[in-house]
Amino acid sequence: MSETILDVQHLTHQFRLTKHTTIRAVDDVSFQLQRGEIFGLVGESGSGKSTVARCIMNLYRPAGGRIFYRGVNVCDPKQYRMHKNMLQTTRQMIFQDSTSSLNQRMTVADIIMEPMAINHIAPPGGSLRAEAERQLHDVGMDASYLNKYPPELSGGMRQRVAIARALSMEPDFIVADEPIASLDVSIQAQIINLFKHLQAEHGFTFLFIAHDLAVVKYLCDRVGVMCHGKLVEIAPAAELFAHPAHPYTKLLLSAVPIPDPRLERARVLQTFDPSDLQDTGEMREICRDHFARMPVEGVPH
Amino acid sequence: MAELLEVKNLSVSFETAQGEIQAVRDVSFSLKSGEVLAIIGESGCGKSVLCKSIMKLLCNKARIKSGSITVDGVDITRYRERDMQKLRGRLFSMVFQDPMTALNPTMTVGSQIAEAVRVHHPGMSRDAVYQRVIALMELVGIERPDERYGLYPYHFSGGMRQRSVMAIALASAPKILFADEPTTSLDVTIQAQILDLLRDIQRKLGTATILVSHDLGVVARIADRIAVMYAGKIVEIGTAEEIYYDPRHPYTWGLMMALPAYAKAGEPLYTIPGMPPNLLDPPKGDAFACRNAYALAIDYEEMPPMFKVSDTHYAATWLLDERAPKVTPPLRGGRNV
Amino acid sequence: MIRREFLYYGKKLLVFAASILVLSIVVFYVARLAPGDPLVSYYSDRVEKMSPEERAWAEEKLGLSDPIHVQYVRWLSGALHGDFGISFKYKADVLEVIRGRLVNTLLLGGTGVILIFGLALLLGILCAWFEDRWLDRIICKAGTIISCIPEFWLSLVAILIFAVWLRVLPSSGAYSAGKSHDIADRIIHLILPMSIVVVEHLWYYAYMIRNKILEEVRADYVLLAKSKGMSRRKIMFRHCLRNVMPSYLSIMAISVPHILGGTYIVETVFSYPGIGALSYESARYQDYHLLMLLCILTGAVVILCNLLAQVINERIDPRIRANEAAEMLEVKQIG
Repeated sequence: MSETILDVQHLTHQFRLTKHTTIRAVDDVSFQLQRGEIFGLVGESGSGKSTVARCIMNLYRPAGGRIFYRGVNVCDPKQYRMHKNMLQTTRQMIFQDSTSSLNQRMTVADIIMEPMAINHIAPPGGSLRAEAERQLHDVGMDASYLNKYPPELSGGMRQRVAIARALSMEPDFIVADEPIASLDVSIQAQIINLFKHLQAEHGFTFLFIAHDLAVVKYLCDRVGVMCHGKLVEIAPAAELFAHPAHPYTKLLLSAVPIPDPRLERARVLQTFDPSDLQDTGEMREICRDHFARMPVEGVPH
Repeated sequence: MAELLEVKNLSVSFETAQGEIQAVRDVSFSLKSGEVLAIIGESGCGKSVLCKSIMKLLCNKARIKSGSITVDGVDITRYRERDMQKLRGRLFSMVFQDPMTALNPTMTVGSQIAEAVRVHHPGMSRDAVYQRVIALMELVGIERPDERYGLYPYHFSGGMRQRSVMAIALASAPKILFADEPTTSLDVTIQAQILDLLRDIQRKLGTATILVSHDLGVVARIADRIAVMYAGKIVEIGTAEEIYYDPRHPYTWGLMMALPAYAKAGEPLYTIPGMPPNLLDPPKGDAFACRNAYALAIDYEEMPPMFKVSDTHYAATWLLDERAPKVTPPLRGGRNV
Repeated sequence: MIRREFLYYGKKLLVFAASILVLSIVVFYVARLAPGDPLVSYYSDRVEKMSPEERAWAEEKLGLSDPIHVQYVRWLSGALHGDFGISFKYKADVLEVIRGRLVNTLLLGGTGVILIFGLALLLGILCAWFEDRWLDRIICKAGTIISCIPEFWLSLVAILIFAVWLRVLPSSGAYSAGKSHDIADRIIHLILPMSIVVVEHLWYYAYMIRNKILEEVRADYVLLAKSKGMSRRKIMFRHCLRNVMPSYLSIMAISVPHILGGTYIVETVFSYPGIGALSYESARYQDYHLLMLLCILTGAVVILCNLLAQVINERIDPRIRANEAAEMLEVKQIG
């Protein structure tokens, strides 16, 4: 059994809209990540998948539940401060919109070197700049890009720089929030290959958040499906796509467009009423490692 | 069937401080009434500009350099704004990518649809307009339209807004509907609903549709014919079956193989090397040549003409020339081989 | 619902009252802490010859011998009963001193604001309509140049041309001697100072309107309106202008005090008997009661205009409500 690197327990988060309304963005979500796996979290907009990522990365403070990263409860301020250095260097995040997540007025070299400089890490490549060059090379860009500014780069190139920045810390754990959603098909393929290649090389654990199920099916080892803040199904990727159990997963899978006219025209959209998603429900194991949310038995209607 | 829209050798350029951007280069295609033509391509390939230039919705920096646009037998290439106003809405109208910004946030949805109804029927009575708006809202699948008539766009979700935009576009029963990435900003489940709606409406009203998209999956569902655009040119055009099951242009091969849906587990995805060319200064010869693994020497010298594959299927690649070496396509029947 | 409206405006009123109170305290203290001798404005040169006993008696008489907070409480209780004290310089009730001049300033500034508002809108629409064509360029260039010319210089040139050379307009005052109730005469006297106020402020707002409209013109919904076959004119007036108006109204409301303040220089150059000159005098010569009233009046106008702008923004523009609602997306949306 491999080591559990991330353990999310009963995570709950709510946003306050007005004095009287709050919205439950994440509702009692639990899952574990094993070291070295690629875990996909899918769901539609508003399903809370990004909020989960942000809670894990300490960008939001969750309203309830616990998140253990390498045994450290990151939601506990005391523990967080004690392990701040480890948490900041070994966890990294990549965002969807590289236009806004990279500072427009910093050169590519500065962007990649910044995390190392902030954390006072001696660059293994000698100078910081040499290290930046090496990182850039790893993501498939040459040294001529070092002195360029993000606006001069294309979307795919910018996303590569964002990846290089995240990797410069040699992290154990990477969270990528829709990293390819705003890219063209051929560029998407390049970035997916890059993720796959880097993951195989460095062996980091990877939480991949996406709405494109075809990509998730191709890239991820295990997949969790979220709907209205709740985790409704969690299974190995092949198993999930072959035997979806939860009606919402079925709907989601039936909606994925297939690039084949005959199959696509014959496809029928499944239906799912979100109000079926009861507050009381529990994850039950259907077969090995495949869990789906079911209504609790014995609860009177 | 008569050609409803015929575009011949159309070239559109933008004047910028850096020079002339050749966004659309020598594009020809035709559209029959009642058919769905999809235009596929990556961002910046000129697919949106092509649609907007037919409706003359481009900013004043854009110029139609050459070519002709014939709609319903009338050449509208030289039409001025005043003449275009009479055609827009009635002959053709448009659905945009982002339904969040396509509706005026300060007007109720009902009044925006009503406005579209009144444009071409100025004498219509208030009651008749209202009835028509309700009918349109029902047509695009907005339930309980009388309750929602007075709501503002911010009350609506993305899918509902896109339906409202479609109601506006269909208000004067246009013969051609341009749909510019109508589902790109929507969730997959909503996307499927909107696509089905487009198909339904097209069947019910017989509206010819030009669907612009970057997503080969989306297009497979509703397109009769598909045009693939690259660097301002149509590189391949044919029926959906021909394009998906028997693609001939290396760029089309690349686009399909890059899809994770076509990938074999455990193998890296196919990627098209390099970047699309700069349209400020497009390269001599085939613009795709430098990214093309099958490029021939002539590709760098001379632009390939449209070679005929079948009566409906054309592709612009020298590989189809009889002197070219035989190349086995890397994929067939919609799957990698 | 009615209760909510009541609460909303009640809150605004409370904010207004509290702001005025704080303002009065600050002005009262600062005025008294500033160096200078208030007796000078009452007794003028005679102060220098006064004996210490006479000075003490004079201060006692004017109520200046008590500690500041006692003076403030006395002033406040008077003010709440409508008695704002006497002006040291004019030796009359401050309300009397201000009354005539307030009308003059309101006439100049008020009509100025309305004219600027209307003309700026007109010019802005014109520029946006002919974006980047010669008319737009000329208006924008002319505006930049004129805005750079100092007000007093422009005033002097105007006097030189219209009053000295052409002799068609009077060069100073609010009315000719003995004709204070003749409206036509007042209007003739207003023309020159008013033109200067309008010409100086107009461009900024016109340019702003132009850019705001152009921002709207580039929005997607304009493209949709175009594609449904609407004419450019209808799109401009029904869609773009409608969306620009709330923010324009609120910006205009905020800038009312700014424009009123701008009348001061004009009042001085044209010897126009308004509040501007009076404010300067009262501060310069420690005419405490006059200064207090003027400050509170100006403050009230500023705060009122700001509150008005807030109300316009929050209540009239559906987009503000839209933003509130946008955050509730998941909860309330239909579909």
